[in-house]
Amino acid sequence: MPVPGTLGTVNEPVIELAELRKSFGRLTAVAGIDLTIRRGEVVALLGPNGAGKSTTIDLTLGLSTPTAGTASLFGGTPRAAIATGRVGAMLQGGALLPTTTVRESVALIAAVHRNPLPIDEALRRARCAEIADQKVAKLSGGQTQRARFAVAIVSNPELLLLDEPTAAMDVEARRTFWESMHEYTDEGRTVVFATHYLDEADTFADRIVMLRAGRIVADGTPAQVKAIVSGRRIRATLPGIAAEDAAGIRALPGVSNLELRGERLELDAGRSDDTLRALLARFPELRDVEVTARSMDDAFLALTEGDDDRETEAVR
Amino acid sequence: MSARYLMLEATRQLRNTRSLIFSFAVPVFMLLVFGRAYGTTGIDPSTHLPWVMVTTVQMGGYGGMMAALGQAFVIVTERSIGWNRQLRITPLSGTGYMLSKVVTALVAGFMSIVLIFVISAAVFHPPVALGAWVMAGLALWFGILPFSLIAIMIGQFAKPQFAQPLFMTVFFGLAILGGLWVPLQIMPDWVTDVAKVVPSYWLNHLGDMGARLSGDALQPVLVLLAWTVALAVFISWRYRRDAARA
Repeated sequence: MPVPGTLGTVNEPVIELAELRKSFGRLTAVAGIDLTIRRGEVVALLGPNGAGKSTTIDLTLGLSTPTAGTASLFGGTPRAAIATGRVGAMLQGGALLPTTTVRESVALIAAVHRNPLPIDEALRRARCAEIADQKVAKLSGGQTQRARFAVAIVSNPELLLLDEPTAAMDVEARRTFWESMHEYTDEGRTVVFATHYLDEADTFADRIVMLRAGRIVADGTPAQVKAIVSGRRIRATLPGIAAEDAAGIRALPGVSNLELRGERLELDAGRSDDTLRALLARFPELRDVEVTARSMDDAFLALTEGDDDRETEAVR
Repeated sequence: MSARYLMLEATRQLRNTRSLIFSFAVPVFMLLVFGRAYGTTGIDPSTHLPWVMVTTVQMGGYGGMMAALGQAFVIVTERSIGWNRQLRITPLSGTGYMLSKVVTALVAGFMSIVLIFVISAAVFHPPVALGAWVMAGLALWFGILPFSLIAIMIGQFAKPQFAQPLFMTVFFGLAILGGLWVPLQIMPDWVTDVAKVVPSYWLNHLGDMGARLSGDALQPVLVLLAWTVALAVFISWRYRRDAARA
C-alpha cells in the first residue's frame, strides 16, 4: 500500500528510521516506524495529536533515545549531523529567551555554528527584518514562529525539521511563512514538517506520511494518499427509494458509509466507477448524480477514526 | 563552542540588570551595615585582620557565591522555556552548555567581588595594602568555582518545583556555615566543626589568608578543588544517565 517518494532512489537518504519504537512506561508513543526521506523531499508528517509526530521528530534528532530501532541522519548518528550544522529545527516547546531580542537570539545560535549565514540574511529570509530589535517576550504568536524559523535556518542547514511550525499563526501569517519556506526549499533542501493542518500538508508537501497511534498508515504524494484512503463520494437522487433498498445498495461493489435522506442518497465508494455502474444498472431512474473526491479532512478522518483505545493510549 | 558564544552568553546575562541588582544589592547593604557596626579600627583576634576587612572578605565571598549560584535559576528558566532544547540541536555540546554557565558564573562573581572591594575601600578605607586587596580578590574568585558547579547541579537536575526551596536551603546553609554573614567565633564550637565540610568555610578562610598575605593556603585550595572535582564527576555522570534515559 505505501507508495515510495517521488524523487527516485538515486538521491542520497537524508533520514533513515528503521523499526523505530519509543515507549514511555506503558504508553507507546512510536510503535515501529520505517521511513526513508531523501535529499530534496518536502515531507509532511500528518496526524492528530498523540499520533507520535513530535516523538518521531525527537527520536530523529537524537533528543530522545529509542526503545528499539535506529534513527540516522546523513548516514550517521543524529548528533554527528547536528554537530556539523547540517540540521535545523523548530521544535515543540523549544522557545527563545524572552529577555533577548530576535537578533540576539539568532546571533547566539549563530555563534555556536561554524559556518552560519550572516545574521541579517537569516533575519531577512525568515521575514524578521522589521522585528529584529524587538524583545522576544513582546512578539505575537506568528512573529515568534518567524523568529524561531530564523533561528532554525541561521546554520544554513541541509535538513529542516519543523514541528507544527504554523501553530498560533493566523491565515496571513501562515501564507507568509510558507512563502519564506518555499524560497528556502527551492534550493534543494530537505524539509520535514509535522502538522495537523490538512490543507498545509496537501498544499506544501510533495509527500505525505500519515501517522496514527505511532505507526505510518499512509505514505505517498498528496494525490496518492488521497486515492489510497478516500475514493470518491457519490451523491444522487433516487425517486421512490424505500428503506429496504438500503441493504441492496450497501451490497454493491465498493460501497461504504451509506446515508439516505428522503430521496437523496450519499455514499462513499473505494472504486467509484464500479459502484456507479452497478448503481445505474440496478436503479436506471437515478438522477442528479454527483461524484466528488473526498477532501483531505475526510481522508484524515477515515484513517484515524476507530481503534479509540489505541488512540487514547497514544496520547502523551 | 566558540569564544564568541561565551562572550555573547555572558554579556546577554550581565545586561539583565534587574537580576544583577538583586544579587549585588544585598551584600553591598550588609557590608555598609556590618562594616560600620564593627568599626574600622578593631582587630579580629582570630584572623589578625581589621574587623572591617573581615567583613569585606565575608561580603565579597557572599556576593561572589550568590552571583555564581544565581546560574541555577538561569538554567532552570532555560529548561522550563525550552531554550536548552533549541541549543541541543546545535553543535554546542552538553559540556559546552555547562561550561558557558561556569564562565558566566565566574564573570558575575568577579564583578560582585570587585564591587564589594571598591565600595569597602571607598567608604571605610581599611588599612590594607594594595597587594592584599588583589590576593584577597583572587582567592575569593578562585574559591567560587565549586559554587558555579553547585548552581549547575541544582539548575540541571532539580525538578523545577523543588529548585527554589533547594536553592534557598543550600544557599542559607552555605552562607551561615561559611561564616559569611556572622563570624563563626560567636557560634558554638560544633558549628565550626560542621562548617569545615562546606566549601564556603574555605572560601572565607582563603579570602582572609589573601587579605593578610599569609597563611597556609594548601588546605583551603585542596578542599575547594576536591569539591570542584567531585561536583564535576557527579554532574557528568548524572548528565549521561539522563541523556540515556531521555
